[in-house]
Amino acid sequence: MGFWHTMVEVFPRFMPVLLEGAVIAVEVAAGALVVALAGGLVLALATLAPLRPVRFAARAYIEIIRGTPALTQLFIIYFGLADIGLGLPPLAAAIVGLGGNGAAYLAEVYRAGIAAIHRGQREAALSLGLVPTDVMRYVILPQATRIMVPPFCNFAIQLLLATSLVSAVAAPEIMFRARNLVMETYLSPHVYLLAAMLYLAVSIPMSHLTARLEQRLKRSR
Amino acid sequence: MELLIENLPEWVPQFLWASLQTLQLTFAAFVLAVIIGIVVALLRRTHVAPIRWAMVVFVEVGRGTPALVILFLIYFALPDLLPALSLDSFTAAALGLGLQGGAVLSEIFRAGIDAIDRGQREAGISLGLTPGQTMVDVVAPQAIRVVLPPVGNYAIGLLKDTSIASIIAAPDLMLRAKDLASSSFLPMQVYVLVAVFYFAMSYPMSLLVGQLELKWARHRH
Repeated sequence: MGFWHTMVEVFPRFMPVLLEGAVIAVEVAAGALVVALAGGLVLALATLAPLRPVRFAARAYIEIIRGTPALTQLFIIYFGLADIGLGLPPLAAAIVGLGGNGAAYLAEVYRAGIAAIHRGQREAALSLGLVPTDVMRYVILPQATRIMVPPFCNFAIQLLLATSLVSAVAAPEIMFRARNLVMETYLSPHVYLLAAMLYLAVSIPMSHLTARLEQRLKRSR
Repeated sequence: MELLIENLPEWVPQFLWASLQTLQLTFAAFVLAVIIGIVVALLRRTHVAPIRWAMVVFVEVGRGTPALVILFLIYFALPDLLPALSLDSFTAAALGLGLQGGAVLSEIFRAGIDAIDRGQREAGISLGLTPGQTMVDVVAPQAIRVVLPPVGNYAIGLLKDTSIASIIAAPDLMLRAKDLASSSFLPMQVYVLVAVFYFAMSYPMSLLVGQLELKWARHRH
């Protein structure tokens, strides 16, 4: 029996299982995106804080997270914390792990976005009598956000692909279910090819949309 | 903490040895990725349309599929289709990460080639150089300056991504950590220590790339 013949036969059986996993993957990615967007902003602002210890702590967090693998971080959160009595369920560990990791990367995006706004904007707002926090909130960040949207989108795509890692901490996303299907059916080529197609079905359109968005923003500036 | 210190004499030598394996895996995948990246970047400029399309598909699929899925396809699925293609886990991991890296690097190389003013190429051709000579002697030496920092950042990312190879049981730092965590029942201590080892390798690399970026940014102005 040919490869594609089997594929057609198993497709209706495998696809719903993998799609259920895809729903979990999207949930994890969405949760982690929210954590990373909020955490990244806090970190970026902390690196600009007037207090030296705050700046130092933020830099240390960013460097340590960016200097170690996401998989190691997930293992520390899932297996390590459970061992010292702070166990998280797989999905929560996945969201905290990928979100905490992403925050360190997005902090740099925020920083670059804030730095790209001409300093005259800041000076003008200050001379108009705005306090520094209001300058950031009403003048700098609204302008910086435009610049940051494409990198945020690229980050979201990477995040979706990275959810495959959380199968290693037993979160029932696409790869976790794929491995179970392989154990039941021994059809690893079919299962993993379907899984790959599922990721591609989301990542390729998303990256094209992001590229078009980037072009449009570039032109409008 | 005492448990960590108590076990250091036993764990550190094992992690040092495993760090060597991680570096080997990183190096093998990196060399492969650079070669594939150059070939793909050049083939995307050919006049033969089907070759160009094939390269676009390779890049889109390589960048849009999680590394874990690629490793599973190569390590588990390929031998099921063709038993002659069964690879050991180290080779499969190097091949998978190298293929994906090739897709990523080809885009960096392409941007590097495009960044060189077309007048340079036209001048080379009009001086009687062949297109191949123009690429090697005129464009490439200038493009290298542009691509080295992003290639350096890719290498740092790759070093951390090799941890994924532990999921297909390729011998590396993360696999050693998993073994030690399950034999010692001290996951927190083991995974924090392995994070320190990854950091000790990636942080100097990122400082180096940062220096390089600064130096060349100054040169250009």
